[in-house]
Parts: sequence; C-alpha cells; structure tokens
Amino acid sequence: MKRNVFRTVLCLAAVLILLPALLWAGGKQEKKPEQILLKMGDNLPDRTGTWGAVVEQINAEFIKEHPNVKIETESYPDQPYQQKIKLYAASGQLPDVFKYWSFSTLLKPLVDAKLVAELNVADFKDLNYLAGALESNTYDGKLWGIPVSGDLWVVYYNKRLFKQVGVTVPETSDEVLAMIPKFKAQGLIPMSTDGKDSWPLCITWDNIIGRLTSDYSIIQTALDRKMKFTDPPFVQAAKILQDMVKARLFQADLVTSDYGASRNLFGQEKAAMYLMGSWELGLVTDQNFPQGFRDNVSVFKFPLIKGGKGGRDDLVAWFGGNYVVNANSKYKDLGIEYLKFYANRFPTLIWEKQAAVPAQRVEATAKDSELAKSLLQIAADAKQSSGTPSLDRSTPAFKEDEQKFVRDLAALVLTPEQFARQLDASAETAAKQ
Amino acid sequence: MRSLFSNKMAIFLLIFPGLVVMLFSIAAPVILSVYYSLTQWAGFGELTLIGFQNYHNILLADKTFWLSLFNALVLMVITIFIQNPIAFVLAAILTKVRKHSRFFRTVYFVPAIISVVVITKLWVNIFNPTYGLLNKVLKGLGLEMLTTAWLSNPHTALFAVIFIMIWYGFGWALLFYYSGLMMVPKDLEEAGIIDGASPLQLYTRVIIPYILPVIQAVLIIDVVSCLKQMEIVYLSTAGAPGDRTQFIANYLYIKAFAYSQYGYGNAIGVLFVIVAVLLTILTRRITWQSPDVE
Repeated sequence: MKRNVFRTVLCLAAVLILLPALLWAGGKQEKKPEQILLKMGDNLPDRTGTWGAVVEQINAEFIKEHPNVKIETESYPDQPYQQKIKLYAASGQLPDVFKYWSFSTLLKPLVDAKLVAELNVADFKDLNYLAGALESNTYDGKLWGIPVSGDLWVVYYNKRLFKQVGVTVPETSDEVLAMIPKFKAQGLIPMSTDGKDSWPLCITWDNIIGRLTSDYSIIQTALDRKMKFTDPPFVQAAKILQDMVKARLFQADLVTSDYGASRNLFGQEKAAMYLMGSWELGLVTDQNFPQGFRDNVSVFKFPLIKGGKGGRDDLVAWFGGNYVVNANSKYKDLGIEYLKFYANRFPTLIWEKQAAVPAQRVEATAKDSELAKSLLQIAADAKQSSGTPSLDRSTPAFKEDEQKFVRDLAALVLTPEQFARQLDASAETAAKQ
Repeated sequence: MRSLFSNKMAIFLLIFPGLVVMLFSIAAPVILSVYYSLTQWAGFGELTLIGFQNYHNILLADKTFWLSLFNALVLMVITIFIQNPIAFVLAAILTKVRKHSRFFRTVYFVPAIISVVVITKLWVNIFNPTYGLLNKVLKGLGLEMLTTAWLSNPHTALFAVIFIMIWYGFGWALLFYYSGLMMVPKDLEEAGIIDGASPLQLYTRVIIPYILPVIQAVLIIDVVSCLKQMEIVYLSTAGAPGDRTQFIANYLYIKAFAYSQYGYGNAIGVLFVIVAVLLTILTRRITWQSPDVE
C-alpha cells in the first residue's frame, strides 16, 4: 500500500515538473505567424494548361506576397462542380473563395441566403471592366462577385479540315447543312458540341431565336409571361435546332457526349467544327492537342438563318463566370484581398496565355493568335448582345427543365410542339415562385 | 458469467454503443429526411413547410419518378433471372474445376474492386459510336447495320447502361455463390449421387435448398443495390435520352442539387426507403416459403 502511494506521488511530481517546461516550449512556437489555409473551388481540373495554369500562376504570385498562406483548390467539371457547391452550401462547408456564375439561377440564391460576401464597388471600378460586366454581378444595388470572362457564342472550325474537304466558311445555316455530306464522306463529324450537359444546345436555341427575330428580349418577355413559349418564334427555333440534329450535323452520341468528350473530338481533329463559347480561346495553346490542330483552329460567327430578320452581328453574349467570397469564411478579408489581386493580374496573364477572353478590356497585341484576334473582332463587331442566356434567367428548376427538354428535343424524343408546351408549363411554375 | 448476462444494466451498457451508432448513422438521417421532405427548400436559405405537397407531386404528377422505379425493376429482373443464374452456374463449374479455379475467380472478381468511375468511363468509351471498340468490332465482322450510338439511342440506352451495371456486380454474385457452394458437405452430394440423382436433380433438389440462405442474402443485396444505382447513370447518360435511363438515386441527387429542390429530393429518398424495405420483406417471404417440401 505504501509503495503504491509513493509511486503515485512520484508520477504526479514528474508531470508537474514537466508541464511548465512543455508550456514554455509551446509558448515559444506560438510566436510564428499563423498558417492560413485558403480553400478555393473552380471548374478547371486541368491545372497544366490554359485557364487552370493561369489560376495556378496567380495563386503562386499571391502566396509570394503572403508567405503564411497556403491555397488548396478543389476542381471538377462544370455541372458536377455546380452541384458540389450547392451541396457545400447546404452543409455549411463552402470554400473561402470560389468560382461561380452571375445568373439568377446560381448567384442569386446564394445572395438571398446571405452566403456570399458583399464587395466594395470602389475596389473594382477602375479595373477596365467591359460595359455591363460589373452590373451582371449586382443585386439590390450591391456587388457580390467579380466577373472573369466575356462570353460570346461562336463556332470554332479547323481550317485544315475545311481545305481538305473543299469547303469555305459558311454564311448561312443552309450552307452549313450542305457541308454535312462532304465531311461525312471523309469520315469526319461536321460539328461537335456538349449535348449531355445540354446548356450549349439551350444557348444555341437562343441564338436561333435571335437570328429569326433579331430580338433576344422576347425570351425575357415570355419568362415574364407576357408571351408564351408556344408562340411561333420559339417553336420554329426548336424545329430548326431539331432539324440540324436530324441532318446529322452533330456527333451520333450528341446527348451523352459531355463537355470534355465533345471538346476532344474537335481537338483531336475528328470533328471539323465546335459549337462553344469564347472561353475556349485556350484551344490554340492546349498542349494536349496536336500542333497541326493548334495552327489551324479559327472561329466564325454563328450563321444566318434564311428568312430570318437577325444579322450576324446580333451576338449571344453575356458575363457568366465570376469569383465570389464565402460570407461565413474565417478569412473573409483575405478572400476579398485575393479577389482584388485576381482582378488585377487576370486580364494580363490570361491574354498572355491566350486562354480566354476576359471581362476586362485587353489590347490586341501583334503576337496574338489569329483565333484571339478573330474573337476580339467578333466582340467589336457586335451590334446588339443578348445578355444572360434563357436558361439562366429564371429559377434553378426552370434551368434544369429547359436543359432536359432541349436535350430530349435533340434526342428526337420530343417534337418541337411538345417541347414548347412543356417549357411553357415550366415557365408558368417558375413565374409563380 | 451467468450473473453478468442476467444483470440488465450490464446488457444495456454492452448494447448501448452499438445502438447509439445505429441511431446516429441510420435513424437520425432518416428522421431528418422525413422532416425535410415536408418542406420547400433549396438546401440553404429560406425554408418553407408545405406538408405532403412533395409526396402528392411525386406520386401523382411525376412521370420521371415512376419511370425510374420501372427501370430499377427492369434491372432487378435482369439481375435475378440472367446475372444470378449465370453467376451460379459459373460458380458451380469453378467448384468442380480445381486446377485453375483461383485464377478464374480473381479474373471474374476484378471488375468489382475497380473504381466505378473507371468502369463506367471504360464502357462509355467502348460504346462510343465514333471511336468505340464495340462498333469497330461489329464493322470488322461485317455487321455494320448493327452499329448505333448505344448510350444515346432510345431503344438501346437502357440495356447498355444495365449491361455496365451487371458486368460490374457480377463478381460479387459469383463470390457469394462460390462460398455458399463450397460450404455444402461432400457427404450430402455423395449421398445424393448414390441415391441415383442426376446432376440436375442433385442441384435443384439437394444443393440449392441447402444454400437457400446464401441465395436469399444475394437476392436481398441485389434488390437494394438495383434501387441504389447512381454513379453509373450519372457518369454515363445522366438519365437521357428522355429519362429512358433514369434511376431513382440519380434522380434524387439531381432534384436536390441541380434543381435545388432539396425537399423534393428528400421526399423521393423517403419513398425510396419505403420501397426498398417492402421489396426486402417480399424477397424474404418468397425465398423462405418456397423450398420444395418432400
């Protein structure tokens, strides 16, 4: 018994002597500056080329100026990324700074739920943003995110394949359809696009509406329920889109071909044209594609529709992608500082790398690729622009519905009339919310 | 020892940790899910209680929901009546062929341990109409009229997706049946043979009734996993064309996180649990009461 007591007292004494020593040593450690881990998210899984590489460079420069900061980024393809962010929003685990989109289907719900931090317009208004760019991220007169790219809807094409088959850049949709048998005869896909995610097809539908009527505003009018989606221009546009699919303009597995797959078909020269947005300027510098492709990629304006009132300079253009700061982040101020840093460095770096068309003004330089010069020219030629595409002007449910119906239209599972009816019903439900 | 087990407090303390884990990981999420299913909510922001409106919409106005259930049933039928018999026969052969049995068992089981993302992308590429292996092989064999966009064609899409699911799960069925068959005592088989049973009679009258618990387990796992299919659908067709390949779990995820209708997604989840439990009870009933009674 005595031995036990003695042992216990000895142990306690040892602990009591060691404790201050440990605390003193620990105290010495705390003098170092706090290591900050900034969590980020974006839709750029490829960090070695194009836009992803630019973000990595910006991060590296930021870390140089803030040595106690580490940046960890989660990246997924587009649609899975958007779903992940919504998941994080539901579980309160949003990254500190993340890429998002300015639309009422995406940014607005986060703003309403007070999940993004308000930004000071004064910090950004002298950074050469294009007209309408900052406004697209404004709700209730406050700025909630910084726009990053100026988005135009265009048709990329492979000059070498065009020459090989013996066709020239088409002016009208009839000319595009006439080219189909020529490409098919040489085993090429005339045009590829992302049909699985469907939003490119939705934007194309918008573009056709513009070519038919010269008036993109009727889309908002229909969403405001002063017109119906079963009215002639909308049904006719749906029919034209479906006829393009029936004429075998696109890849055979259009509705299950995702963003990466459709891009690869074009980049690996299996498709002669690629229907996509100006953020794909990076095609010209993407090392994953053969040099022969990179030397021959160019772009033309969306063709005219015969009998339509719209001209080739009625552009489908908007400011989609943005960057936002998590309102509940531990490092909110640091996040806002990162945004300011990004806004300062992005236009220069992205144009240097020829990776995207930024939402800020850039000067064309002599060493710009032909693709870059053409994109800037298309933007400069614009006589009117559509603003936010139809699918992102309403609720998230309307967006998913439009994507689904357009996809079913392209899968030849819906007729244009059925498509119009279902879309109109969805718009009616959305308007009531 | 006896005093330990008759001590109610001791029993309670021993069971308590397991009960807590079960409550946290199973009961609590289900209860929360039921609560959220009564709301209209985006997952964040404003939450409104709307009673049973979601259930009303799902059961009476949602064609996609019923189509997803139907697709799961089609998958179940194919799994139970095609995949399982093939797995069983193969397992039976492997129990007899001792020499290379281990090699074949490994080969058949390998798909089951590879990541589902890799498997799906592999088959999506094989089914690709432009550069996929399947169409190239068909062309090479002179069967070009059979080539199609397997995952985009409304007539073939569901079966192409089901094929990927069956191929992926085949190894598990084989493994279970093999283990079950190896447990059959040799004396039982020999007695059957001595009594003059043909191989078919041996299997249907002696062996299968003996391993009925194993078959029941495999069927229950099959039924639930057929309902749970999500990754393969999400990565291959995302339900297209026109919901022909939509499955419940994928639809639930899309409704919650793409449509931002979190309450609706939860309602689908609750109905999914109910359907799964009902089917499990049904499966147990059928396989428990149907053995041939001599």
